Amino acid sequence: MQHHIFMMGEFEAVFPDDRQYHRNHMWSQRRSTGEERFGFTAYAVRLLQDVYFLDWSIDAPVAITAGQEIGAIESKKAESSLYAAVSGNLTQFNESLMDDPSAINVDKYETGWLFEMDVSLPTDSTRPLDVEGYLELLIGVWEKTQRTIKGQANE
Amino acid sequence: MAKRISVVVSQGPSKNPVKRKLEEDIVAALLFENGIDVTVVPNLYDIKPDSTGMLALKSISGNMIVCSWLFERAAHWVLDRNDISGQVGKILLQDAYEEEEGNEFAEEDLENAPPELKSTVVSQREITNRKIYCLDLKASTRADDFIAEAKRIQRANLVQVVSLNDVISGGAMQRLDTPTKDTAITKDGSGIEGLATSGLDIGPATVKRIENSQGRRWYPVIDYSRCTNCMECIDFCLFGVYGVDRIDTILVEQPDNCRKGCPACSRVCPENAIMFPQHKTPAIAGSAEGNASMKIDLSQLFGGPADGKSAEEIAAIERDEQLLIAGRDAVGMQGLERRHSVTTAAAPKDDLDKLLDQLDDFE
Repeated sequence: MQHHIFMMGEFEAVFPDDRQYHRNHMWSQRRSTGEERFGFTAYAVRLLQDVYFLDWSIDAPVAITAGQEIGAIESKKAESSLYAAVSGNLTQFNESLMDDPSAINVDKYETGWLFEMDVSLPTDSTRPLDVEGYLELLIGVWEKTQRTIKGQANE
Repeated sequence: MAKRISVVVSQGPSKNPVKRKLEEDIVAALLFENGIDVTVVPNLYDIKPDSTGMLALKSISGNMIVCSWLFERAAHWVLDRNDISGQVGKILLQDAYEEEEGNEFAEEDLENAPPELKSTVVSQREITNRKIYCLDLKASTRADDFIAEAKRIQRANLVQVVSLNDVISGGAMQRLDTPTKDTAITKDGSGIEGLATSGLDIGPATVKRIENSQGRRWYPVIDYSRCTNCMECIDFCLFGVYGVDRIDTILVEQPDNCRKGCPACSRVCPENAIMFPQHKTPAIAGSAEGNASMKIDLSQLFGGPADGKSAEEIAAIERDEQLLIAGRDAVGMQGLERRHSVTTAAAPKDDLDKLLDQLDDFE
């Protein structure tokens, strides 16, 4: 397994190449059960920083469609609604995060996973990226990300 | 024993260490005060009606201060739904946001507004003497501010009792025993005057902790000081959450039928009387006014859609999502189309419009 790095300013965001990446800054990885496990990428976690509160607005198992709002997250610096990256059947959430979401920060690619899904066939807009494709995406969105943060911080 | 006051501290569901610390700092500081009984409970909104937490709250008699992470209105009406009712105690501790210049005018406008002509549910109810003071823990980051406010309320209550004593006879005071059970008269017969001269020196504080968290819940809370019993919500919701009581007043009859995350009925309520206290939008969570978050919103970066839909359109989409999840057919704008054209033509600007105008001013 190789690790790719994207520089967010001074910060090295690390992305393993053993999984797929999505445009909403989640990774997914096929399990032996056939389900895909999802979590936040290093890019998302760096933007969030310390996660304090994770709340899902749906109960599993449930069919969801790409782009559907499925929950919310609050961290030290930021808050966000959370959206499904792909369509499919969401089979379970990582219950251990409900009492203590800190695994998202300390172990985002393993124990800090978010949920598992039976994924439907992707469309062009929801097709996952490999790590190189995701890094290209990051080069494209990094500027917008900085603008968003600075713009809101100056309000 | 003389008159004491109960302070409830409702713990938030967030692991935010700053929030946890504020809760504990308040409890610790209250223990240095006299005449205060502290009860610590899990998140007020999540407590089930038959749980030890709610039973402990029900067993509290007399005036009560409730510190929670819910907006003042949300906390008051969550308690009300659990038969813990009383008058809204006036809070002087103000949100940092509301203290900002410009927002004062909105407050004045409200106070100078002509008396409300609409008949709300609460205007037809009997109101007890009891006062419930709901303090929003979001209003300050300093425990001292909450302690000061609690002491102010405690003093205000003592003064009030003494002034009653001046004007009414002992016989008349008996009436105050119901329904609050703990108004002016002390059980051992010691005089109110003694209480007044001894100030707050009425025994050390006590603390009781109830820590049985039973998971998070999701259901609407009706503000009966706004609700006009128009029945829009019961017509709109297709999941049987709403019902009516024996005198045909709307109520949240089956809260746990509610679809997690769906706030659609609150968007269609013409009086903004329906709150979902855990919703991220302050107006839906029960904020008196738009209460801008201090945090950065990453939703657009994390795949959020661009907005631009009316409240009714969003409500219809949210309702359809829930119908489809439940294996039922989507109904779209059913029952909302006509309403939509009427409300957009005639409705005066509401809180949301004001908030949007304020945002425009930033640019």
